[in-house]
Amino acid sequence: MAEQKYDLGFARYVRDNIDGGDKLSMCMQCGVCSGSCPIGTEMDHGPRKLFMMIRAGMKEAVLKSNTMFNCVSCYNCVVRCPRSVPVKYILHDLGRLAITEGYADRKEVENSRFADAFWWSVTKFGKTDERLVTAKYYFSGGIGEGIKKGMGNMRIALGMIKTKRMHLGMPHKTKKQKNLKAILAKATEIQDRTSGAGER
Amino acid sequence: MAKKYTYYPGCSSEGSAKHLDTSIRAIAPKLGIEIEDIEDWNCCGASVGELAAGKLTNAALSASNLAQAREQGDQDLMTPCAACYLNTHATNEHIREDDTFKNDLNEALAAAGKSYDGDLHVRHACEVLVNDVGLDAIREQVTNPLDGIKIAGYVGCQTVRPFAATERGGDYDSYDDPEFLDDFINATGAEAIDFDNATSCCGGSVSVMSPDKTLHLMKKILDEAKEKGADAIATPCPLCQTNVEMYQDAINQKFGTDFDIPVVFYSQLMALAFGMDASKDAALHQNIIKADKLVAKAKT
Repeated sequence: MAEQKYDLGFARYVRDNIDGGDKLSMCMQCGVCSGSCPIGTEMDHGPRKLFMMIRAGMKEAVLKSNTMFNCVSCYNCVVRCPRSVPVKYILHDLGRLAITEGYADRKEVENSRFADAFWWSVTKFGKTDERLVTAKYYFSGGIGEGIKKGMGNMRIALGMIKTKRMHLGMPHKTKKQKNLKAILAKATEIQDRTSGAGER
Repeated sequence: MAKKYTYYPGCSSEGSAKHLDTSIRAIAPKLGIEIEDIEDWNCCGASVGELAAGKLTNAALSASNLAQAREQGDQDLMTPCAACYLNTHATNEHIREDDTFKNDLNEALAAAGKSYDGDLHVRHACEVLVNDVGLDAIREQVTNPLDGIKIAGYVGCQTVRPFAATERGGDYDSYDDPEFLDDFINATGAEAIDFDNATSCCGGSVSVMSPDKTLHLMKKILDEAKEKGADAIATPCPLCQTNVEMYQDAINQKFGTDFDIPVVFYSQLMALAFGMDASKDAALHQNIIKADKLVAKAKT
C-alpha cells in the first residue's frame, strides 16, 4: 500500500471553501448519516468516516474516494444529523472539487459523465431533453458501451415512446435562448472570480 | 374564489411525467387553484447540475425562473416536481438569507436585464393542497369514489426532505412518517395501505445512470406493496414514478420476481375520483404498466 500522505491544511480548506464545510466541526462521529444512507454499501467510506479523514488531513484519500459519487440525494443525512451538518451538500461540493482538481477523472466517473451530458442539454436548450441526455450519457463511455446500454434499455425506451413520454422530434427549448445563456455565462464568470464554493 | 399561483411545470412535464402535468392541470380548477405558467421557464438543474457547473452557476438557473415569475406578479410560485421544488425553494431561501449570494445572482441576472430580491414564496403542489386547499375541499370534489382499490402511498425523498417540516416549507408533514399522501389517497375513496417504505429512496438519478446499484432499493418498495396487496403505488415525484415503473422488468430479471404493479401519481387518482376522463384528464393511458383496475373505475 502506498504511503499515506497527510495535508494538515485540508480541514481548514474544506471549512473555508466547501459548501457547508464550516459546519463540519460540529460532526460528533455518531454515524447517523452513514446508517441512513440508502447505498452506503457502495461507498469506499461512509460520510462519517470521510469526515474524520478530512480532519486527519487525508486529502488524497478523501478526493479519490467514490463516496461523493454514490450520493442519491435523498437528504436523509441532512434531516437526521443531530448536529445539523449539511452532509449531502458537503459531499456534492467535495465531488466537484475532486473533479476540478483532477483526483476523479471527469470522463470516467459515471456521475460526472451524466452531469456533463445533462449540462450540455441545459446550456444548449435551456431544458433537459431526457432522450438526448440519456443517449449522450450512454455513448459518453464509447460506442460499444453506448450500444450495449441502449440495447439493454430498449424495452424501456419503447414503453416510453408508446405512452408518449419520450419526446420525439426537435428538442423543447426556452423561448429567449439568449437570456439564459447570458445569465449562465455571467454566473460562471462570478463563480470563477470568487472561486465559487464556500458561500453557504 | 380561486387563488392564483405562478406555475413551474419543469422539464419532465414535457417528457417522462406528462401525466403528472396533465392531471395537475385537470384537477387544479376544481380545487380553486388558478395557475399561470412561468412564461419562459428553464431547467432547475436537478440533482447533477451542481456537479457539472458549480453551485452559483447552477443556482442561476433557479434565479432565472424566480426573476421571471416575479415579473408576472407576487403570487406564490408552485411546482408539482420534487427536484424543481427543492432547487427553486433552496435557491430562494438562500437568496433571502445571504446578501453575497443574492448580489452575485443579481449580477448574473443583470446580464439579461433581470433582477430578483427574494420576495416570492416557492411552494410544492402537495403543500398547497394540504395548507391552502385542505382535505375537505378535496373530498367535496369526489363524485366517483375509488372504493375497493388499495394503494401504497409512496412519497419518496425530495418532496418532503429537507423542507416539509420547516416553516417556509409549509410545516405540513414529517420526514420519516408523512401522512399527507395517505390522506389524499383516502380522500379519493381508495384505501391507503400501511406502507413502511413510504419514504425509502428509489435511487434518484443514480438509478438513471447506474441501476445495478439501486435495483434492490426499488425491489424493497415493490416487495412491500405486493405483499400488502396494493393494486397500485401512488407517488407525487416524477423520478420515483418513472424509476419504480420502468425498472420492474430489470428487477424481475435480476431477482426472479414477477412484479407488474402500476405506479401512478396522486393527481391521477384525484382526477379519476373527481369523475373526470381517464385519458384526457387522468392521463392513465400514459402509464407503461396499465392501471386496469383504476381505468375500469372511470366514469367516462
